[in-house]
Amino acid sequence: MTQADQARADIAAGRAPVGLVAGTVAASPLEFSVGVAPDQFLQLDDVVVTKRPLPDGTEVAIAGVVTNVEAAHEGARFASDVFLIADGALPADVAEVAEVTVTRVEPEVYVPPRPGAVVHRAAGEERDSALYFDTMADAKLPIGLGRDGNPVFLNFEFVDGTRGGHVSISGVSGIATKTSFATFMLHSIFTSGVLHGEAANTKALIFSVKGEDLLFLDYANSRLTEEQRAKYAQLGLPPQAFGNVQVFAPPRPGDPSGTPDVRARDKAVSPFYWTLAEFCAQELMPFVFADGEDERSQYTMLIGQVAARLKRDAEPVGKDGAIQVRGVEAGRGGPLRSFEQLVGLIEDELGDEDTRRDWVAGSTSTGSVNAFLRRLRSAVRPLERLVRGDLGHRGDRSLTTSKAQVTVVDLHNLPDRAQRFVVGVTLRQEFQRKEQQGSARPLMFVVLDELNKYAPRDGDSPIKQILLDVAERGRSLGVILIGAQQTASEVERRIVANCSIRVAGRLDSAEASRPEYGYLPPAQRQRATLAKPGTMFVAQPDIPVPLAVEFPFPAWATRPQEKGSWQGVDTGPAAPKDPFAGMPSALDDDDDPPPF
Amino acid sequence: MTALLTPASYTVDPWDPSYGIAVGDDLDGRESSARLDLDVELPAARWRPVTPERSAALPSAVLFLDGVRRIDARVWVHGESAQPVPGIVASLAAGLVCCDGAASVVGMQLDRSLYTAAPNATDLKTRHATYRFRPTRAGLDELTLGVQRRLSEVEVELAGAWRRQSSALDDLLVCDGPLRGRTNLARTVGYVKTHQTSYLPEAQMRVVGALGSGERSPVFTMGTSWQRRSWYLRLPGASRSPWSAIVRLECSADLPAAEAVALADLTARVLPPLSSLAHKDPRAPQNLVPIGGLERQLRHRLGDVNVLYRSLRSALRD
Repeated sequence: MTQADQARADIAAGRAPVGLVAGTVAASPLEFSVGVAPDQFLQLDDVVVTKRPLPDGTEVAIAGVVTNVEAAHEGARFASDVFLIADGALPADVAEVAEVTVTRVEPEVYVPPRPGAVVHRAAGEERDSALYFDTMADAKLPIGLGRDGNPVFLNFEFVDGTRGGHVSISGVSGIATKTSFATFMLHSIFTSGVLHGEAANTKALIFSVKGEDLLFLDYANSRLTEEQRAKYAQLGLPPQAFGNVQVFAPPRPGDPSGTPDVRARDKAVSPFYWTLAEFCAQELMPFVFADGEDERSQYTMLIGQVAARLKRDAEPVGKDGAIQVRGVEAGRGGPLRSFEQLVGLIEDELGDEDTRRDWVAGSTSTGSVNAFLRRLRSAVRPLERLVRGDLGHRGDRSLTTSKAQVTVVDLHNLPDRAQRFVVGVTLRQEFQRKEQQGSARPLMFVVLDELNKYAPRDGDSPIKQILLDVAERGRSLGVILIGAQQTASEVERRIVANCSIRVAGRLDSAEASRPEYGYLPPAQRQRATLAKPGTMFVAQPDIPVPLAVEFPFPAWATRPQEKGSWQGVDTGPAAPKDPFAGMPSALDDDDDPPPF
Repeated sequence: MTALLTPASYTVDPWDPSYGIAVGDDLDGRESSARLDLDVELPAARWRPVTPERSAALPSAVLFLDGVRRIDARVWVHGESAQPVPGIVASLAAGLVCCDGAASVVGMQLDRSLYTAAPNATDLKTRHATYRFRPTRAGLDELTLGVQRRLSEVEVELAGAWRRQSSALDDLLVCDGPLRGRTNLARTVGYVKTHQTSYLPEAQMRVVGALGSGERSPVFTMGTSWQRRSWYLRLPGASRSPWSAIVRLECSADLPAAEAVALADLTARVLPPLSSLAHKDPRAPQNLVPIGGLERQLRHRLGDVNVLYRSLRSALRD
């Protein structure tokens, strides 16, 4: 059969070839170019396949993804010839050439396709094979639609720790839709069936650092159109909000009943804070000093010594978490009910030559002690909401992932130092819990934005240590990090290196040129600088080319205006029947009634 | 002696030197032996530059016919006689560009042939091409003439084929080169870029030299070995070199005078905008843009000369 016959047969079979392998650009087993037929087109990310017969009769299928397309006038030699051609004076043809990066060669005989060979779009099984979806078996995690409108899958074995773990999402703030993609991924993980029997017990811990947009995960999105629902259907996912979400928020400042500081939602919200007793018993002191600035200083040793002393000598008073400290100067030991009082005690004790050696090594210089105290004092204001012993015991104030499938920790109202404290303490606590549990399954997903803040490339901090621990050991413990950052180049290299899945949304052009994005071919790097919201480039170890995907509009509300019906469950304490019960009532006093 | 000489000034001829010059050196003074009838449009004494009449409708399409030829190899054909017979292996291509808003190559024909006087010659089959045997008369010049004749044949075939399948009745066909042998094609003019012989007497020559851009000479009839009507036209982009930007057009002598004049007006309106620029074409402005583009494509279609030469050598290895 000649090539012309083949082409005719393909057209008859509804598989019109999209072009022929071009011979002006040398074809290699890993890259070749396609001369696009005049009545056809190829766009970036299209999946194409061509065949190469071998002398022994076997046929090698060479499949790839279009990574560049160029169109040019053939017959024109000068830039101004385009006007002559447009005026109809100069004969010339438009030639389009698509550059294809080979993704798969089946069987594995690495031969180049021959110039002139017929190339057609891959569809159905051929597309699945080209993109390795056929090898993923039941670990196919849908993550969006490709440019061709068909689902694109991620190999879940590279997410859940079987063969790899962790996800790194990079992109410009605001346009890259990093957190939306992270939540969409969670939705897909929970509902697509890749977890099989474990779907109900798998947890997610989301730190919301930027705004309230992650607080409505269990509200349907009222702006979800039918068209967008159809996209969910195409991906095999239900267009619904998360079913089981618990939000933790810090207590409202100055509120004696400790209600959570959240304005936008009232269901399934719990306050969180740590009592002074917990602060001492769990040695949380290092997380007060979690700034990059801290670890360069000389006083790091003091932190451990003071924390050890507090652990040893602090004992709880009552049920509300207040403490008193043994073995200190009379009148100083408490009971202590606020973080400020605790800091005050430490200041008194360390400032006193006589008592200092009970806390720290005798050789400690006064300079170090003063530096330590100065930093500790500056932590009082950010942390007094979170570390306290003055609120009545209500039993539901500790931050835990055991209450719901998705736990959202709302940090956006907290100052930077307090955010670091919460992230550090919570991560350690959950990591320890998984360590004690002993089995990786069910999994625990941790979504953390601004990874460059918590695990910066330079310097060291307790949070960075934990994140490194998660990145390096989390896979085997079932803790999977979904980290997002504006600039992957500023995140600790070992963390990014441990992420099997790398995702990039819109990138800043200076950022895109950094070596951290080496997994994106040049054309995609350039494209990433103009990616629209909702478009992500997903690199997975299975597929040699990152795939461009568009993930659907969230089915859950991402802002108060989108709030539809609530689909969650609330196992927390019921809201008080009369929310104004504690307020002074106009009827009871003798003042003049209000003038309306 | 101190005669006042005019200081010398110079003009660089606009054509690329490898193409020679557009004007032969016997143009000045000597008259050719052509039989002339100068009074077709205007009486010879009243010749003046003519600005084309602009009222007539323009053709729906202007077609340009051109061909290129290349000698791929020279061969010796061995046979009965002691002396081998020379031959030429040549590729030639003719093409037709249709300019009707967009310029597109609407027809192209490729011919590869062996030209020789050797009676025992056969077609040459090589790995990449087959050269048809076309007998010519003996003599080296006859071989080249044979190639030229074959190119004319192919061009006529191509134009004829187009005219047969085209339904347009008002198109204009411009053939590159003299119209010899193609005068039977309707609405067709020959387009001559070089002037080897001066056909006109001195007085009329001066009129041609005085043509402004876009102006033409009156139509005249001339007969050398064959009869045709002809006129000169000046394209834009003239320089100080003699007869620069002047082309000669010709059409069938069978055409009535009025029709020939109308055709001349048409060419004077259609062709000047298509003249080429010096930095883009070595024969600017006479080599028209569509023809230049067509020639480039045709030359490309002749194929890689080295590949053809190698396959010819390997096929004829003795």
